[in-house]
Amino acid sequence: MSVIADAGRPGGSLRRIGGVAIRHWCVTRRSPRILDIAVWPVFNTLLYGSIAVYARDSGGGSASTRTVISVVTGIVMWHVMYLAQNAVSNSFFHEIYTRQLASLLTTPLRPAEWVLGAALEGLIKVGVGVGAVTVASAVMFGVHVTDAGLAIAPVMALLLLTGWAMALIVVGVVMFLGSGTETLAWGLLLVIMPLSGVFYPVSVLPAVIRPISAVLPTTYAFNAARTVVDGSGSPWGSIGVAAVATAVLMAASFTFAVFSLRSFLRRGLISKYT
Amino acid sequence: MLYVRGLRKRYRQVTAVDGIDLTVVAGERVALVGPNGAGKTTTLMSCLGAVHPDAGVIELLGQRSVRARRSALARVGFAAGYVSLPTYLRVIDYLALYARLYGSRRPHDQAMAALRRLDADQLAHRWGVELSSGQRTIVGIVKATMHSPALLVLDEPTASLDPDVAIRVRADLLDMCEQHGTALLITSHNMSEVERLAQRVVFLNAGRVLVDGPLEVIAARLGQSSLEDIFLHLREANGAKLPATEVPTESLQADSGASL
Repeated sequence: MSVIADAGRPGGSLRRIGGVAIRHWCVTRRSPRILDIAVWPVFNTLLYGSIAVYARDSGGGSASTRTVISVVTGIVMWHVMYLAQNAVSNSFFHEIYTRQLASLLTTPLRPAEWVLGAALEGLIKVGVGVGAVTVASAVMFGVHVTDAGLAIAPVMALLLLTGWAMALIVVGVVMFLGSGTETLAWGLLLVIMPLSGVFYPVSVLPAVIRPISAVLPTTYAFNAARTVVDGSGSPWGSIGVAAVATAVLMAASFTFAVFSLRSFLRRGLISKYT
Repeated sequence: MLYVRGLRKRYRQVTAVDGIDLTVVAGERVALVGPNGAGKTTTLMSCLGAVHPDAGVIELLGQRSVRARRSALARVGFAAGYVSLPTYLRVIDYLALYARLYGSRRPHDQAMAALRRLDADQLAHRWGVELSSGQRTIVGIVKATMHSPALLVLDEPTASLDPDVAIRVRADLLDMCEQHGTALLITSHNMSEVERLAQRVVFLNAGRVLVDGPLEVIAARLGQSSLEDIFLHLREANGAKLPATEVPTESLQADSGASL
């Protein structure tokens, strides 16, 4: 079989995806990125969990105990999405900062293969980071997210997909508007966080903002997570809505990333990254 | 190997490439030469798919569609003096990544063998950011050649090499081209390097081909003795705003029989 034919076959594709994943894992384990994955998230858990405990101790009663569960569950689930997004986005920025785009674009590597490789490596980061905050929330605040059992798995899967969709939007924004727009891209998650009701039901948001929350898949995913962990009802309605909304978001973010890549190539922006 | 017709590319108000025709046949060694901004890198990047041209036909190893040309890149090597190595990655891991991208089933072995071929195996476990610019250049050439490509594209490859290392690298490149029948497309501002490496020279200016043919044929036609003299002559002619047709491109190509 010719090399060209092999490049177009699944085996060649898997090797390229694996190559990208291994390349970024080499960077992750040798760089200070481990702080982003497993150290800063633990301090986030400590911060938000402590605020919730303070609120409980100030107010008292079972409702306040639910607040602690809600906040701590929220921070654990938040890190599924944050780390998934962070992994792919950071890998892309690493290619830009180390001026690798010209080298990569002149190989048989397809853009989708690069994304899959970065996402695959990101799964390890998500596993390590979410594991760290799950243990921290149990040890520090006695909130055991794992007690929810397998019912929490689909929620985590949806947040993982949402994180990757956010990463595609970030990558698309940077390709379309150029480097220097990372700040704008990172800000996306800071907007999503309060609108999605990560730590509280969106019913407490100002009425004017609630319609925006209603169209975000994350709103339903975080609501389902709270429901699963505090056992206050069936999460499947929220999970169903979140699944549909996540699928729409994935399709939109993929389309935007493809559009941005084509624009990047058409405008010859590679010269800015060599 | 490479067939380009009517390639055009504009960046906003600037025409970078203005109807370039270029052919590289199997085993041929061709140099793209021209002043800064002549369109050399845009031409190379367009051929390799990193820039989408506004118009023109590009056929790479017999493949015309964008998707098929990406697959064809498995048999193309690319290195440039301006490409750096990533941080937090040892040379061997960097090369193994590209070996995987080119389809190798034993990427580390292939990378190590390629380093040995250029007498650079002592660099294998060094960090990319620790290397001198000359060492980075060698690693770049190893990356581009380790899969024995059918077409090797080099953009200013030896710009930062010491003369003795540059001589060795050029010898290795010539050896590889002869042994494997590899075609070479190179850009360089080093005229003596072009004279040593290239069988055919394509002069570009303002995105257009001024002259295309074997060096000795061009020299005879223009009454110049060296590539540097030809370069200066063409620069002067262009500075005087002589039309590109002043130089008989087509007849030179016909004389050489190399590109048409």
